[in-house]
Amino acid sequence: MSAATGYVTALLATMRRDATIFASYRFRMISQMLAMLFTMTMFYYIAKLIRPGATGVHGQYFAYVVVGMVSFAILTAALNTAQLVRMELVAGTLERMVISPLGPVGGVVSIAAFPITYSICFAGVTLLAAAEVFGFPVRLIGIPPALGVAALAAIAFAGIGLLFVAALLAFKAAAGATWVIAGLSILGGVYFPVVLFPGWIRWVSEVQPFTPALDLLRHLLLGTTPTQSVALELFKLVAFSLMLIPICAGALALAVGLGRRRGTLMEY
Amino acid sequence: MGLHGTGQSIASTLTARVPLAVAPLGAAEPSGPALSLAPAHEQSLVSIIGVGRHWGRGKDRRAVLRDVDLELAPGSAMYISGRNGAGKTTLLRIVTGILAPDSGAVVVDGIRIFESWREYHRRIGFVAAGDRGLYARLSVRGHLEHAAALAFLPRRDRRGAVDETLVRFGLAELSGRRTDRLSQGQRQRLRLALALLHRPTVLLLDEPRNSLDAEGLEMVAGAVDDVVHRGGAVICCGPVGEPPAGGFDRTAVLEDGTLRFA
Repeated sequence: MSAATGYVTALLATMRRDATIFASYRFRMISQMLAMLFTMTMFYYIAKLIRPGATGVHGQYFAYVVVGMVSFAILTAALNTAQLVRMELVAGTLERMVISPLGPVGGVVSIAAFPITYSICFAGVTLLAAAEVFGFPVRLIGIPPALGVAALAAIAFAGIGLLFVAALLAFKAAAGATWVIAGLSILGGVYFPVVLFPGWIRWVSEVQPFTPALDLLRHLLLGTTPTQSVALELFKLVAFSLMLIPICAGALALAVGLGRRRGTLMEY
Repeated sequence: MGLHGTGQSIASTLTARVPLAVAPLGAAEPSGPALSLAPAHEQSLVSIIGVGRHWGRGKDRRAVLRDVDLELAPGSAMYISGRNGAGKTTLLRIVTGILAPDSGAVVVDGIRIFESWREYHRRIGFVAAGDRGLYARLSVRGHLEHAAALAFLPRRDRRGAVDETLVRFGLAELSGRRTDRLSQGQRQRLRLALALLHRPTVLLLDEPRNSLDAEGLEMVAGAVDDVVHRGGAVICCGPVGEPPAGGFDRTAVLEDGTLRFA
């Protein structure tokens, strides 16, 4: 077996393992769907109070916020990788992955794979439910490229997730992920367009991959006009993906080295 | 007797004996004089060369391992006993790569860990002390299938390896059962099975008797013998006074950070 095949096989096996464990909690998915329906119902009625055109899609705040929510769910899944790794550390299960040929970096990436994939699938289900139940005006032609953008965004988000895992392994703390998630929920453009914010805080939308990904997804699925040109938004997203993965994987490898030297690699 | 060498003899096999810090994962090989491996060293499957390790900082700094040397030839098994806190687990963890030594190096089948994490760990099977490391809601078979993929076993071999391991460790009837519904002894059998599924060349056992009955202990002994007969090497650690499970060529006591061979 070639090394590449070995890594892919191990990653898929870990996804299968996580899917099996996830499915063993029988009501988890039902609970998530109900929560999603309640949230969408709330925003469906809030949308009726929003002035037309406030979001760039005339009278369609509901559609605007649904795309924001599903994208944010993918981001959250990626950034929560550190929490999953922390649970594996506490349970002592990370050790088996670390001392396998897959190694620590491969192990962490494979741990992140199922939640991110699941969040993308769940985003699709959410959009379908929004279209079916609430008359969400999705542009069918935009779905295939939107899937590509979502995958690209997931790679960029996963890079940031690896950075928080590196912090967890090096300093035994990953509280930063919670702050980033909270910050981006407000400043990333999930619920409001970033142009509504004062100029001095708008720079936040320029230094992370979430806002350009969200702009592109809204453009593809709803036909909104992106904040910047489509080409520029796409360029930013690709650049973030290409840069973040090697940088963050490198940071993770350094954190593993530090943990090995300190003797704290498998501790939490 | 497959085991050969003590600190004295190992030192004589090295033309340049230098403290060799294992570099962090992904880092370049440490600078300084290269370690020259003499013939006896090359014949070893596992070489622990001048390994030192301390714990704590400042006033609490305490040396746990001092310049430990150990060589295991193919087809040999070593039992290391020691008091609680003597450094047995530290030594095994250094061999697995989870822990970096302050000085010295470990070579497994001619490979040092920073040369190839993948190839190094293809050769190793490790049973950690305690009873952790299992997913409560995953079945016995699910654990083994995952371990087979982690070990990079070829697809055609995986199913056979899992089935064979289930039978070998008396887990066939429990294959569909979640591990939170197993007894402690059954879980320990599974932990052993996970370490041996890929037929490792080097088996590392840290207090493997945990909750095992007589039948389970026989399985440990069988696993040790199997690795030895395949030309592999085994290092097993246990507390002082506990009889080893399996046929070991030689025993040693880890005391004051050094190995005292019987």
